[in-house]
Amino acid sequence: MNCEWVRQNVALYLYGELPDDQRHEFEQHANRCDACAAEVAEMRNFHEQMSVLPVAEVSPSLLAAARMQLQEALETVEQVRGWRRFVFDPMNYLRSARFSPALAAALLIVGFAGGVGTTYQIARNGMIVSPERHATAEASIAGVRNIIQEPGSGNVKIQYDRMLPETVQGSINDPNIQNLLIMAARSNYNSGVRMDSVDLLKQKPDDARVRESLIFSLRYDSNPGVRLKALEALGGYVKQDIRVRNAMLEALLNDNNPGVRAGALRALEQVRGDTSVRQALQLLAKEDPNEYIRNESRRVLASMPQID
Amino acid sequence: MVGQSPNRINDADLIREAQHGNRAAFEELVRQYDQAVLRLALHLTGSEQDARDVYQDAFLKAYRNLGSFRFECSFYTWIYRIVTNLCLDHLRRRQVRKEDAPVVYDENGVEFSIIDQVADTRSGASPERDLMRRELGARIARALQKLTPRERMVFEMKHYQGLKLRTIGEALNTTEETAKNTLFRATQKLRAALADMR
Repeated sequence: MNCEWVRQNVALYLYGELPDDQRHEFEQHANRCDACAAEVAEMRNFHEQMSVLPVAEVSPSLLAAARMQLQEALETVEQVRGWRRFVFDPMNYLRSARFSPALAAALLIVGFAGGVGTTYQIARNGMIVSPERHATAEASIAGVRNIIQEPGSGNVKIQYDRMLPETVQGSINDPNIQNLLIMAARSNYNSGVRMDSVDLLKQKPDDARVRESLIFSLRYDSNPGVRLKALEALGGYVKQDIRVRNAMLEALLNDNNPGVRAGALRALEQVRGDTSVRQALQLLAKEDPNEYIRNESRRVLASMPQID
Repeated sequence: MVGQSPNRINDADLIREAQHGNRAAFEELVRQYDQAVLRLALHLTGSEQDARDVYQDAFLKAYRNLGSFRFECSFYTWIYRIVTNLCLDHLRRRQVRKEDAPVVYDENGVEFSIIDQVADTRSGASPERDLMRRELGARIARALQKLTPRERMVFEMKHYQGLKLRTIGEALNTTEETAKNTLFRATQKLRAALADMR
């Protein structure tokens, strides 16, 4: 391995795309070579810079609109079966190349007008309408569940799901707020929102559901910053909660971020008498690719009472 | 991967049902993948309308051609192959027309800049810092536009969507090695374009 190879592969290293053996050699080389260490730092800087342009979150209304548009378009298409798969259809090509947006827009307008017309007819026929119906215009319809026609009357009952953006405000002690924070911590695509949720949930680690959510974030969140926050919140429960201890051990052995592994190591120092912790530390002292973690593992192991 | 098995079995059942003309099964299949597809298209095109067009074209194409799906790859790879082809077409068209960054409209028809999304709205953020982020965001958007469609696609899927290079190679009908080389070229170009911002 030489400096040229390191320069060629520094992007793959930071994206976690190097095989384990090459990754190990890469780190060994970068630890010895100042120029390559600078190249790694430079590339890390570039990664942070590129993250300034965030991945736009898909809003529920955009998703619902796209689904509705697709549902309507699916009404007019058929699957290509049998020998027809091998036949070139110029009309279909033209439609897909040029007219799809216009056709979809027309369908959307027809669908919307049809919906308005049907609502008007239902209102005129004096049907009892749910009060929630008035908010339909502000919301996006996620999908129609079922349609029941009353025999002989011309009335129709439609059950549908809708998505409506809402704001809620309240204390961190409010169970509703906690539910939303737990939901955001688990499923939000924006890592900044997940980070904020976990940061707030840190204040309530005594609550079993919150602790469960923090364990989930530590185990599965793709963002190391979020995992670190969850780890900080759970640190005090390593002794008393075996699930927390297991999650910490998992992070210590498997997390690809050295900062998270180092944090887990510090937290587990409180339970160094645990044989699983001892085994994990022995493994890390020998095999962890990060020098700091290898040294720290050795230090904690050395401070443990010897077991014969 | 053990963790993926239940999904794969579920997908296979849904695909078979959909191949027999069950629309509900196809829509269920769509719901498992459509958020990721829309997110990729939205970030790549920078326009909600274009992202919706890519989304619609991709799933309609998938539905029409589902009969030819022979389970030789995962549905995930198959749908990404369709989406990446559509996105590449979109990028090529934009390059031929020499379009600037698209004007984006939200669902209320109000124009907004994609660069607004980089604004630091957290409490304590200074206006100077916010301005710098916006400037950097604009520079990044311009630098991304100067990549070739294929380089842009690979960088987008790796850096912003976090896909594995193997998956990217499969989606682009090429090898993992070629995807690696394309990523290297894209990274070099972007670093050079943004060098004075560091």
